[in-house]
Amino acid sequence: MHIPDGLLDPITTIILWIVSITIMVIGYFRMGKLFETEDAEKLIPYIGVLAAAIFGFQFVNYPVPGGTSGHLVGGTLVAVILGPWASVIVLFLILIVQSFFGDGGITALGANTFNMGIIGGMVGFYLVKLIIKALNKTKMSKRIKLTIATAIGAYISIVLAAIICGIELGISGAVPLAIAIPAMAYWHLLIGIGEGIISALIIFYIYKTKPEFITTETTLLGGE
Amino acid sequence: MVDFKRYKWPLISIGIIICVLILIMSIGYTIGILSEDPDGLEKVLITFRGESWLEGLVSPWIPILSWIDNDYIAGIIGILLSTTIIVSVFYLFSKIKKKNR
Repeated sequence: MHIPDGLLDPITTIILWIVSITIMVIGYFRMGKLFETEDAEKLIPYIGVLAAAIFGFQFVNYPVPGGTSGHLVGGTLVAVILGPWASVIVLFLILIVQSFFGDGGITALGANTFNMGIIGGMVGFYLVKLIIKALNKTKMSKRIKLTIATAIGAYISIVLAAIICGIELGISGAVPLAIAIPAMAYWHLLIGIGEGIISALIIFYIYKTKPEFITTETTLLGGE
Repeated sequence: MVDFKRYKWPLISIGIIICVLILIMSIGYTIGILSEDPDGLEKVLITFRGESWLEGLVSPWIPILSWIDNDYIAGIIGILLSTTIIVSVFYLFSKIKKKNR
């Protein structure tokens, strides 16, 4: 879903840059909880490990029926681990590195951050929160609730991000809106399955082995 | 002096991620669990506009690491680069926030 340079029109490009920068600036001030404790610095090397894992997963494409392929975006995954605000900044930084390799444009960084960081990460996080709220009525364990919610949240957020990307393509005139939205949604309904499964497996493993790394645990699962 | 003992597990983890990535890539393309087909966005653009149109899009710059055509080297450099950048940025955030506390 990496938008290349030259695809979006200047106005859409500028607007998405402004929105993404604004969210990241707010995010810098809002992700205070991550740094509140004295030993918060211990977490930072593991944020590096998470970045390495996300880049690694984004690098390999799995086949999807119909002659297309998909790869992990990781927005919801990062948001569940580090929180919604930090996820936008992490995704932005990973997208910068990917643009060095030509995967996604440099002028399109704002749009790619909006789609994969804000829709994929922030919206995905609140979807996970909503799904956990619904699952609280069941007797499932916290780990299972978080895993299921991550799978569904990651899946929906990717399909949503694809629809938004389709709208951006349509507005920019690259592909007519009536074609771009259903086409993007259709392919990502299939691609998103991989996103949901991979994100859920990683969250399941982390919550089982190092639950303290899920910094949003209280926000997502607390108050039960 | 950097205290490597403190960073033992993160460094080992990054090493494992690099090894797993190389292994997945070397085996994955051979047995078909990985694909070089276009992704969702590319598929839509190729179907509607054609491959030559997509390749002809104008970019204001040449990606600085696009000369690396070996997937394995690109993967390793990408992992190390993204780890370094993200760790540096978050350390900086942490220092500034601590100073302002």
